[in-house]
Amino acid sequence: MNLVPAKIPTRRAIADRMLQSGGQRDDFVVFESDIGYSTYSYLFGDAYPKRYFNMGIAELGTMAAAAGMAAEGRPTVVCGYGVFLTMRALEAVRSFVCYPHLNVKIFSSHGGVTAAIDGVTHQATEDIAFMTTLPGMTVLVPCDSASARAAFDLCLGFVGPAFVRLMRDPLFELYPEGTEFRIGGSHTPRKGKDLTIAGYGDMVFQALEAADRLEQEGIQAEVLDLYSIKPWDQKSLRESIQRTGALLIAENHQRRNGLGYELAAWCMKEGISLPFAQIGLDDTFAESGSYPLTLEKFGMDPASIVSSARKLIAEK
Amino acid sequence: MTEAGRLVPETRIRQLEQHARDIRREIVTMVHTAQSGHCGGSLSASDIVAALYFDVMKIDPARPRMPDRDRFVLSKGHACPVLYAALALRGYFPVQELSTLRKNASRLQGHPVSTYLPGLDATSGSLGMGFAQAIGMALEAKMTGAQYRVYSLLGDGELNEGLVWEAASSAAKFGLDNLVAIIDRNNLQNDGKADDIMPMEPIDRKFEAFNWRVLTIDGHDMAAVVQTLESAAKASGKPTCIIARTIKGKGVSFMEDQREWHGKPPSDIEFTRACKEMDDAEPDCTETEGGRR
Ligand SMILES: Cc1ncc(C[n+]2csc(CCOP(=O)(O)OP(=O)(O)O)c2C)c(N)n1
Ligand SMILES: [Mg+2]
Repeated sequence: MNLVPAKIPTRRAIADRMLQSGGQRDDFVVFESDIGYSTYSYLFGDAYPKRYFNMGIAELGTMAAAAGMAAEGRPTVVCGYGVFLTMRALEAVRSFVCYPHLNVKIFSSHGGVTAAIDGVTHQATEDIAFMTTLPGMTVLVPCDSASARAAFDLCLGFVGPAFVRLMRDPLFELYPEGTEFRIGGSHTPRKGKDLTIAGYGDMVFQALEAADRLEQEGIQAEVLDLYSIKPWDQKSLRESIQRTGALLIAENHQRRNGLGYELAAWCMKEGISLPFAQIGLDDTFAESGSYPLTLEKFGMDPASIVSSARKLIAEK
Repeated sequence: MTEAGRLVPETRIRQLEQHARDIRREIVTMVHTAQSGHCGGSLSASDIVAALYFDVMKIDPARPRMPDRDRFVLSKGHACPVLYAALALRGYFPVQELSTLRKNASRLQGHPVSTYLPGLDATSGSLGMGFAQAIGMALEAKMTGAQYRVYSLLGDGELNEGLVWEAASSAAKFGLDNLVAIIDRNNLQNDGKADDIMPMEPIDRKFEAFNWRVLTIDGHDMAAVVQTLESAAKASGKPTCIIARTIKGKGVSFMEDQREWHGKPPSDIEFTRACKEMDDAEPDCTETEGGRR
């Protein structure tokens, strides 16, 4: 598939849309914890200083303050890195945002090992587990600029907590502007009949690359972009695996308690029996390095997806 | 004269200044090679780290896990280039290894990981967490009667974290006079001036109110740095906080006091410029008794 390289990462695309939206509606505010130049929330802060609160390097207090403001009825956005938002601030997210079901939207950069270069302390590789576990939390993972902008609109379009996982570095543009996205929706950027590769975020591109290589071996892989992780699109997945008869989940996350576990449990419950495998961190931390080399080392690159796909097909 | 009463010989000071210059050169070189990493906060802390590793701390590079060694916890873990440079120059591992910073399979991770590299006493990189671990290390020494001291370097932005003040409270409660916190007071954090992003002053009176002993110095005046670190290492019943006034990016003119140089690698042209400046800053070889490497 010929994809256009992205000029901006998803963290930037969502911040651009937030800036734009700031002029269209005046109700929401943005909280930041001193990485505004990295989340690009400073763009909103420069334009709307009265609606921007930089709380310093204090992620837990920032999240609790956002909850307090949301409890007053104000839609609030909290920007930061995944590791700090979903770990240091986790209790605030769970007990004081999700429990009272407040209108707090969390825009979380450096998802998975897309921040490989910074090392493990900066790689959010358990964020999906933490966030999807919380009752009432909506979880979205856009893979490109159009889907990141759409994620902003979807989040601000309802009352309640939401988490959006974003990337540090630009990858590719997949969706034309105007593509429709919905909470609980998915897209199928590549059709195929031999197996389904379901992914989200950056792994959609790794899966597409793997699908290209598989095609040269005569294997037709279908690639499903589950950009809405919670709720996720059961109908599309069911329809896809009924046709292909094999399921590979590719995620830039721990395998344990990631989307793969969710889908496996669902298959069991639905009585769907099929060859199934997971791509992701296998109960290990990653390391510093380049994004592609780190994917390769931890078995998440296109070559690993290809070999995993071959095995699944042999099992059919 | 210091509280401790020892006047550090002039030649020793000159040698330490040379070590600091060598550390700065390695910082800029490794971040340039990696094309990723934090120059600003590494350069501001170079004099302090040079004084600790080449004079003040009781350490033995040949025995990095020696039980009674002094501990150093880089709580502002993003500044690890300064620590990696000091460790390499002090002989913990080959200087050439600095060029592997942030690369796959390197022992020099993007933020320090204690299990990866000899000489690293703690894992850090999430602000506030290093200092909190330093409390545990100092408590362990108090409990067992071990004689080592624990030095922890914090950023001034890092002081925003509530965790820092939880740790500060407990250090006073347990009378951890074997603990020295050094604040790299460069008045910059990620998003701008520390005084604007989250005003923390008066930092000295805050620590005093938390029952700490507080000393304020010019963090680039090597004589003051060494003397104060030494005097801080004396039992007084209280933990000691040294507020070191510094310049972020110190030593490379275009990086000095510039927000942008918090976490940006130099380009080839900028690197050449920085090297030229650092060469020019070297004292004439005939003048230095400490001598260059
Ligand atoms: C808990 C946590 N939040 C955010 C960050 C991202 N971050 C890295 S450095 C930095 C600014 C630090 O400023 P300061 O403590 O003053 O350090 P220095 O100026 O010495 O570099 C931030 C926000 C982090 N590493 N850890
Ligand atoms: Mg600072």
